[in-house]
Parts: sequence; C-alpha cells; structure tokens
Amino acid sequence: MSTGLRDVALIGLGLTLWTALTSGPAWPQNPGAPAPTEKAAKRPVRTWSKLSVELPASQTLFPAGDGADIANGQCLICHSAGMVLRQPPLTQDEWRSEINKMRNAFGAPLPADQVDALARYLYSIDGSRAPTDRAVLDGQGS
Amino acid sequence: MQRRTSPPLQRLRRQFFARAGGLGLTGLLGSVAWEAMAESFVDFPFANGRRELVTNFPQKGAMLLQRTRPPLLETPFEVFDQGVFTPNDRFYVRWHLADVPSVVDPATFRLNVRGHVTQPVSLTLDDLVRKFEPVELAAVNQCSGNSRGFFNPRVPGGQWANGAIGNARWLGVRLKDVLDHASVKAGALQVRFRGLDKGVIAQTPDFMKSLAVDHARDGEVMIAYAMNGEPLPLLNGFPLRLVVPGWYATYWVKMLDDIEVLDKPDDNFWTTKAYLIPDTPFANVKPGQQGVKMVPINRMLPRSFFTNLQDGAVLKAGPTATVRGIAFGGDSGLAKVLFSSDATGSWQEARLGKDYGRYSFQQWELPVRLSAGQHRLMIKAVNAAGMAQPDHANWNGAGFMRNVIESVSVRAA
Repeated sequence: MSTGLRDVALIGLGLTLWTALTSGPAWPQNPGAPAPTEKAAKRPVRTWSKLSVELPASQTLFPAGDGADIANGQCLICHSAGMVLRQPPLTQDEWRSEINKMRNAFGAPLPADQVDALARYLYSIDGSRAPTDRAVLDGQGS
Repeated sequence: MQRRTSPPLQRLRRQFFARAGGLGLTGLLGSVAWEAMAESFVDFPFANGRRELVTNFPQKGAMLLQRTRPPLLETPFEVFDQGVFTPNDRFYVRWHLADVPSVVDPATFRLNVRGHVTQPVSLTLDDLVRKFEPVELAAVNQCSGNSRGFFNPRVPGGQWANGAIGNARWLGVRLKDVLDHASVKAGALQVRFRGLDKGVIAQTPDFMKSLAVDHARDGEVMIAYAMNGEPLPLLNGFPLRLVVPGWYATYWVKMLDDIEVLDKPDDNFWTTKAYLIPDTPFANVKPGQQGVKMVPINRMLPRSFFTNLQDGAVLKAGPTATVRGIAFGGDSGLAKVLFSSDATGSWQEARLGKDYGRYSFQQWELPVRLSAGQHRLMIKAVNAAGMAQPDHANWNGAGFMRNVIESVSVRAA
C-alpha cells in the first residue's frame, strides 16, 4: 500500500470512530430483563414454499503456466479455483500433500503420474521458500 | 434485537476503504461513483488475504468471497457492530461438497429417522411444526476453522479471518422429541446426521457428522426450521438445520434430511478422519509436534471481539470514547469481559448488554479515555466455567479453535 493510500485509510478509520461516538448508546440498557436460555416459542403459522435459487458459477481459471491445464482439468471438477488461489504459500512438498489428500480422501481422479507436475505448477503460482512462512500440515480432510 | 439507528456508515466506509485501495483516489469522487463501481474488496493482514465483496449469492447481501463453488462466504466484520444477532442475509456460508441442491420442495421433502429405533419415521415439515413443541434458542454458530488465516505458521484450509461466525435465534424442535417419536432402542451409541448435499464424484464421501446418543437427547440439541424469525436461507441449510448449542458448526448439519441411530461407533470419513483436534488444552500443540492423541472437535471456547474499532485506528486524545464489541462464552455462559488499554495486564470489566442466554453473543461496551500516543487495546472473555481467552495464540495443524485475546493497536492524537 502506498503512503497516499494509507492516508486515505486513516481518514476512513477516523470517520468510523466519529460515527460510533456520535450515534448514541449501542443498545438500550435493560438490567431487569430476564435472560431466557431456551423458551417455549410461539407455534409458527407457516406455509412452506418451494425454494429455488441460482447459485453463481465461477469463471476463474488458473493463471497460465506449465501445468495450468492439469489444474483447470482436475481441481475444478470439485471446487472453484479461488480456494486454491487464496491458500497461503506452500512448499512443493506441501502442495503434493494437498493434492494427494484430494486423491485419497475425496476421490479426485488425478492420475498418479500427474501429481508432481501439478505440485510444481501450484508451487510456481503460490510457493513458499521461507521456513518462517512454512505451513505445517496435518493432512486432515477438512 | 437492538440496532443502531444511524445509517450504515461503517459499511460504506469499509467499501470506500476497499475501493480507494483498489482504485486510488478516484474513490473520493463521491457515492454515486462508488455505486457504479463493481469492485470492492477487503485486504486481510495475511498472505493472499484479499477478499472480494460480492452480492451475487442468493438470499445474501454483501459477503466476502473465499470460494464460489461450493460456496465459502465470510461475514464482513462490521456487521457484528450492528446488533447481537447476525442478519440471515449476512450470515456466513460454508459448504464442503459442490452438489448443493438449488431447489428444495417442501411438498416432497422428508426428514427420515431410522436405524436403531423401534419405529422409523419419515416426517414432513408440517409434521415437525405441528406434532412437536416448538423451542427457540439464541446460539452462536462458528466454523471450526474460523480465524484460520491468522494462524502462524499458516495452515491450509479455508482461509477465514474472524467472520466465519454468526449468532441467530433458532426456532425448531428438540432433537430429543423427534428421537423419542421414533423410539430409540436400548444399546444405541451415536446418532448420525446427513443433509441433501453431495459430492460431484461418486468417490467423495457424503458429509455426515455424529453425536453421542446422550448428547443428542440432552434436550438442547435442536432441529431448526427458522432462523431469526424466517425460514433459513438455502445457503444456511433450508429447510432444516441441526443446532448443537456450544459446539462448533461442523455438527450443525445443513439441509438435514437423514437421522440414523447407530448401535456401533460411527466410522464415516468426516467423523474419524476429519475435524480432529489434539486432545490438549485449547487444542494447542507446537508446530510439527508428533504423537499427540487426536479427538473429534467438540465444545467451543470463549471469544470476544472489538466491533467499532479496527487495528490502526486513530482516535482523538482526551475525550471519552465508547469502545464496544461482542463476546460469547463458548460452551457455557459469558461471565465477564475484560478490557485492557495497555500492555501491563491491568484489566477492567466492561459493561455487558442484554443477556440472550448462555449460547448467544452478548454485547459489551466501555468508556475509554486515551492520552496522546500509541495504545494497544485488548479484550478478553471469561466464561461461566472460569475459562479465559489465552494470552498466546493456540495452534494446531488443522487451524481449528483459535481464541487468543484479541487486540488492536490505535493511536490517540
């Protein structure tokens, strides 16, 4: 962030505080009010309607590079690219572990002989060298 | 629920901040110009922390996009300054598997209760509403990995800041009553829950979570059919969601349509191989530590947050300002919220707002007067069991259960 942009940010934060100070109490105090934990609720009168929505599709592809075709062809089967692009920088070994988790835990159909190429690619777009920046994996499927 | 009556200036400010960051000073041209601009984003203070503010998800207002498919949407933190309950259209969203039904028809929807029961049942939504006593409970729903982006060293997974959390009034029926309706047989061990969502390839394990049968029958665990007085948004689990008060959201199964009583331990992937924590206080281990016993994640820890003050804020030195935020006790009620305006460990008790029950957010506030200079402000929740937020961040390889004391550095001038 440049110095100029930081100044803009500080002006913004100052406005925020001013807003907070001039808008009165955050909520009315009501010390005598009971504190229900769970209560019998009024039985709702409800007619259930069919719910139909449209979930947005992602248009994001992986950035160009050697191996991007594997990422676009395989990773995007189960999830959009944003999940990968927003991960912290990982070492190539850590990316390999993540790829193998997708294969072993979730059934990703990525052939074993493409794992290294995909790990190299992901490292090239979001790689970590610095030990202090290194993630420590526990390999859970969560 | 009480809300500030002033216009949502803070939200505008945040959007302005974000747009100014992306577009330089063109953001100063005015609000008309802002509305015409499609882009806005927030930069969280960790690598790859830029999050686009999006409005294209159904039944949702402006949310921070982490992943489009399956959706991961974070609540912008200024929402938590607007009231103790999180509006449905701003409530965070977290799905594991990409085949989330986009249509749910109550005419054909059934909740099945089966397995180790005397009388398997298939209930309509009207059955649930009419045949069982309704209960309402205010409870915090928090992703196990909320705040994972702040872990140091970083760990992979959903890279949330602090907004994978929300508080709502849940209306529904007791799980106990539904299980009693089906008559659980002697020897039942666990109750397993599954929703309508699926993976897109056959090999992906269905998302299922289990509770011990005694927990499932404790009279607090609920099947919710309404949230803050309205049907649940589809992305928060319409039409039914399990509510497990005080426990992390991984157990709050969305689009719940299948309840299976088990007479042996659940061995499904999501129970045995995922959402495991070190069996240590605060699930804390040293990075790289091996040989730690792992157990399923369970009860939440106390947390508190500033909501009207951000790191880097500049205040006026001298006059009293009101600092405020939210807090909750985790799996037990909130006992107190403590504030410190320096690094020496002198804590003072904040005033608490209305108590909506032991599982709810509660607002806190405190008058603060700062002398000119830099100040580090800290906030700490202590729950009814006497557990306080720790001074140092807990760490584990999955990025679960962060609950360190929150702090902001501000300058008074």
